[in-house]
Amino acid sequence: MDGVTFDVAEREIFALLGPNGAGKTTTVEILEGLREADSGTARVAGVDVRKDPSGVKERIGVQLQQSAFPENFVAREIVDLFALFYRKRVDSMAILRSVGLEDKADQKQEKLSGGQRQRLSIAVALVNEPQVLFLDEPTTGLDPQARRNLWELVRAIRARGTTVFLTTHYLDEAEALCDRVAIMDGGRIVALDSPPALIQALLGRGFSKPIVQQQANLDDVFLDLTGHALREE
Amino acid sequence: MGQILGYTALLLRAYTRDRTALFFGFLFPLLFMALFGVLNFGGSVRVDLAVVDEAKNDQSASFIATLQKIETLRITTAGERDAEVVKLTAGDRDLVLVIPSDFRIAPARPGATVPTLTLYENSAQAETGAVGRAILSAVVNELSFAVTQTAPVVSVKREEVTGRSLKYVDFLTPGILGMTIMQLGISSVAFAFVAERQRGVIRRIMATPIPRRNYIAAHVLQRLILAVVQVLILLAVAVFAFKVTVVGGLGSLLLVAILGAVVFLCLGFAVTGLLATENQAAVATQIVTLPQLFLSGVFFSRDAVPAFLKPVADYLPLTFLNDALRDIATTGATLVDVGGDIIGLVVWAVVSFILAYRLFRLD
Repeated sequence: MDGVTFDVAEREIFALLGPNGAGKTTTVEILEGLREADSGTARVAGVDVRKDPSGVKERIGVQLQQSAFPENFVAREIVDLFALFYRKRVDSMAILRSVGLEDKADQKQEKLSGGQRQRLSIAVALVNEPQVLFLDEPTTGLDPQARRNLWELVRAIRARGTTVFLTTHYLDEAEALCDRVAIMDGGRIVALDSPPALIQALLGRGFSKPIVQQQANLDDVFLDLTGHALREE
Repeated sequence: MGQILGYTALLLRAYTRDRTALFFGFLFPLLFMALFGVLNFGGSVRVDLAVVDEAKNDQSASFIATLQKIETLRITTAGERDAEVVKLTAGDRDLVLVIPSDFRIAPARPGATVPTLTLYENSAQAETGAVGRAILSAVVNELSFAVTQTAPVVSVKREEVTGRSLKYVDFLTPGILGMTIMQLGISSVAFAFVAERQRGVIRRIMATPIPRRNYIAAHVLQRLILAVVQVLILLAVAVFAFKVTVVGGLGSLLLVAILGAVVFLCLGFAVTGLLATENQAAVATQIVTLPQLFLSGVFFSRDAVPAFLKPVADYLPLTFLNDALRDIATTGATLVDVGGDIIGLVVWAVVSFILAYRLFRLD
């Protein structure tokens, strides 16, 4: 990675976009204190990550890509477990309720569906009331209903005053959810702005494509036919 | 500390839902006990001893009478030497003892020859042979003391214990305890940590501020508690269901078990450091545990271990653990009596701790 510089404002929903291998996860891991940068500085929630990685960990909530919870724990115990890791006492049922999992509290976490596990994962990321929430590809593998449900959850979390930093491969997701996005390629940031501003800039450079006016798209068809209600898997 | 204890408590609760772990931790060892306890081995060890009396005097008769009082020995006196040796070869006898014609019980004069008892053993019956030999040498020693009026140098108590009918399941139980502790230390650590590392569980936990040492401490503490619970439950079932006699103190057994658990946990962490996948864990744990299962006297006496393997077998960690547990359980040995085994375990604990410290990694 080279010369990656950006600021994220408080209470912003910010996305880091880019093809595989662009350096998204590396960037996120440096910010989360899981990986050390060779050079440069990073401050998260006012704390220098290199100088005080555990101070950063205290202040952020994370959802990692390709991570899992220990087996044979029920959902409520997973929340209790992570609260313990932050030395916090929490009302685990209230936290599960905030992500719509209160009726799964006594189910083993490995028996939850993909969408439920993502929501549990976000519930766990909220146990320490973080200032910044990091979500690494939170909607990968979810069905359209579960994805939209998760967007609502992210908006609600921001409404409570938390900054959300996410990565995604779904550009419609970034467009619908984010205040600003950064696009990375080959370890550099190639663009950083709000989605409408980026689109305007592209059009300003003379880009055009055949205009197809559609009153609806396939997404709308799908949701019209199958509804917005969450499914049990 | 609150964090470690709280984490340990949650780990223990999760353990109670882990069917595989419960099977290997409790049911599997109990099945072994049941299987060996019920099959044939259920009865006492009986030693078929043929005595060939070539002296046929009062003293040989009283010697034989002494032997006949010992419950474990089933004695036949009718046969001739050659015929009995043939029966021994055929497996109809466990031991053949020949009393020489010059047999007498009297203090030996300096320079005079002492009557020599000849004991034929069938090497295929090493187990019962060893029991019979132990009893005979105890009797001979006792006779010598009685005649020479010297103070016994062997404790009378232990002779009685040996003379007590030692059932196979009495012998087996401490071995099963040792085996269970070894499996707990090595297999549970290797499989749990390799799986959690592979699935990204450890990575997720390390994204929280919990210090690594607290994380590891909780896992170690959980397994030490499990070791104690396993020993207590297995012993309770052994004593009440399989009528196993435990002579020694429960406290000593538990202390030795915990020391053994520390050794095997450290070994487990060391081995886990070298592994990347669960398949590797499956192979590696077998490589570490299987030889000990057969060489360290879990199911059978270590007398059966071939001579060329003895130098190795004698120093395996499970050997020290089994010997100590068995001496305490079957002969009532104290911690001081099994001091040698305890030193062996402590040395292993130090070595394997250093290995674990060097090799184990979380990510």
